[in-house]
Amino acid sequence: MSIVIADEPRVAAPPPPEPVVPRRNYLNTEYGVLSWLLTVDHKRIGILYLVSISAFFVVGGIAAGLVRLNLLSPTGAILTEDQYNRMFTAHGVVMLFLFLIPSIPAVFGNFFVPMMIGAKDLAFPKLNLASWYVFMIGAGFAVYAVLVGGIDTGWTLYPPYSSRSHTNVTPGVFGVFITGFSSIMTGLNIMVTIHKMRCPGMTWGRLPLFIWAMYATSFIQLLGTPVVAITLLLLLAERVGGVGIFDPAIGGDPVLYQHMFWFYSHPAVYIMIVPGMGVVSEILTCFSRKNIFGYKAIAWSSVGIAVVGFLVWAHHMYVAGIAYYSALLFSFLTMLVAVPSAIKVFNWLATLFRGSITFHAPMLYTLAFLVLFTVGGVTGLFLATLGTDIHLHDTYFVVAHFHFVMVGGMVLAYMAALHYWWPKMTGRMYSDFWSRASATIIFVGFFFTFVPQFVLGYHGMPRRYPNYPQEFQIYNVLSTAGASILGFGYLLPGIYLPLSLFFGVKSPANPWSATGLEWQCPSPPTTFNFDFVPVVVCGPYEYAIGVDQLGRGLPDPPGPGDAASPYRPVGPAGPIHKETEVVG
Amino acid sequence: MTTDTHKPDDPPTMHDVDKVGSLFVVYFVVLGLAVANILLAEFGHLGNLSLPVQLGIGTVQACLVAWYWMHMRRGDKVVTLTAVTALFFIFIFYVLVLADILTRWRAAI
Repeated sequence: MSIVIADEPRVAAPPPPEPVVPRRNYLNTEYGVLSWLLTVDHKRIGILYLVSISAFFVVGGIAAGLVRLNLLSPTGAILTEDQYNRMFTAHGVVMLFLFLIPSIPAVFGNFFVPMMIGAKDLAFPKLNLASWYVFMIGAGFAVYAVLVGGIDTGWTLYPPYSSRSHTNVTPGVFGVFITGFSSIMTGLNIMVTIHKMRCPGMTWGRLPLFIWAMYATSFIQLLGTPVVAITLLLLLAERVGGVGIFDPAIGGDPVLYQHMFWFYSHPAVYIMIVPGMGVVSEILTCFSRKNIFGYKAIAWSSVGIAVVGFLVWAHHMYVAGIAYYSALLFSFLTMLVAVPSAIKVFNWLATLFRGSITFHAPMLYTLAFLVLFTVGGVTGLFLATLGTDIHLHDTYFVVAHFHFVMVGGMVLAYMAALHYWWPKMTGRMYSDFWSRASATIIFVGFFFTFVPQFVLGYHGMPRRYPNYPQEFQIYNVLSTAGASILGFGYLLPGIYLPLSLFFGVKSPANPWSATGLEWQCPSPPTTFNFDFVPVVVCGPYEYAIGVDQLGRGLPDPPGPGDAASPYRPVGPAGPIHKETEVVG
Repeated sequence: MTTDTHKPDDPPTMHDVDKVGSLFVVYFVVLGLAVANILLAEFGHLGNLSLPVQLGIGTVQACLVAWYWMHMRRGDKVVTLTAVTALFFIFIFYVLVLADILTRWRAAI
């Protein structure tokens, strides 16, 4: 392999003319509430999910805010101990089952998988709509349970306490059980679509890495979710019917619950993070103007994570009473799952190397992801190691590690995806300044929130305790102060993104000069995405020779000197170089 | 029921639709096996053989459902691979859980 640095961009093909903006697109083809509630358009269903999970994100965020406020004082600042239990459970249940799991697969998977493989819709459009309804019904039960009376078991719902608790465990468990079916429906739909509906020329080796990530995610959803559904059903049978399955008082085995629960719930972590990894691969290449480094390695590492992720669940149970030999085995297996994750990180770094990097909001979020996910991953190795986990188990170290991966990783990848694809979804550009400011504020706030928790955990503060010794207060105050910065950072997109719908200038079809098929559709797309059958002629990231997947040249995004551009004030602030190097 | 000339890779035709009668036959066979399993649990005194026999009956039931109701017999290779993959992961789950349960007598942390 040789690397040639070119001073001038080499244009392999002329860029296509800006497509005529169609009078009708998926947003204005029909009006009225019913047109949304009965739609089978994958893009509209993606928007339905976006609106729904944004609301749940606010609910879960408020619960998190109350938990952090309460921890300002060693004796609890605003909540009783019982209220505190219900509040952190509400935060966990809502954020995990109603936001993180459906976030990228249901919003961006629904919206962009067909467009990125050149299809008109998902394979089963009606099933897709049904999945949203099932999700909302389950979410209704779960939100009712956590907001009206609450659940005090923690989001893991461990028996025997969950079998005996007098709080709203039954509707909560039932809600989570129902939302699982929605996850299965989405996974099935996406997997079949990728298998059966790729356009001509879109071979497996030309699939965007986001599609590979979604494929791996669907694999986990299809194989793992039924297990947790059965587990929760058994829990309900014990709780409602008194059948002794998990409660030792009536002949059950509580560790069996943990085995069954984590057999799904650890891979569920990869349901959350693997799609984010796919997003990162898309954005890093675009904003560094580089071909992806190690396409096959990244693609297969997604599949590797999906498979190996099923072999590591009992690392959550080292001190739960499992056999010593079993704990040793799972410690070793857990180390293995770090390998494909590390492969991805190294390949992303190599992609950035000598790239022509521009720091727009999607890229800022993505770079933040890289830093925070790496910290989260490395601290995960502390917990995977049997010896250190004995000390760190169920402390704030685990909380910090988990949030570094889930919030620093997944939520930032979600925000990156939202900012990257927002112009395509809505046809509008958002404020460049405020979006960069938001990404920066979130990054800073995140560190202040969760780094003190590593220290707290290492010094032995247990998770889920409302009270703590005086010497821990400084770290808790720091963490709460960071959470307020973080909350402010999240608030900003909640303002400038909706405002852009009304005041944002119109986006061209390909504002980031990206190579994927989805950018060949107008912004916003028409109902069936493409007016022609796309024929793919090359891989998904041909930034080196400057062509999209149809073999056409890439447009130059507008720059600050382009005074005639109507979207200059809010578009990218500087010209993105079409090419800086040729790898061949 | 499918005709004898049908090959797995052939596209489905209208003749591939299962007859209602055959579906009901399978249904009653599955029900009968369930009743047999319950009776065996209640009245059969098979000793150590009880568990493998009952699991065997359950396996036959699952195979009938997969083969006829889930149309596995007409599934292409990807469908078959998917089903086998699911079984493989259940196998992993069983093996690793049993690895814990069967060695707990030695020591725990």
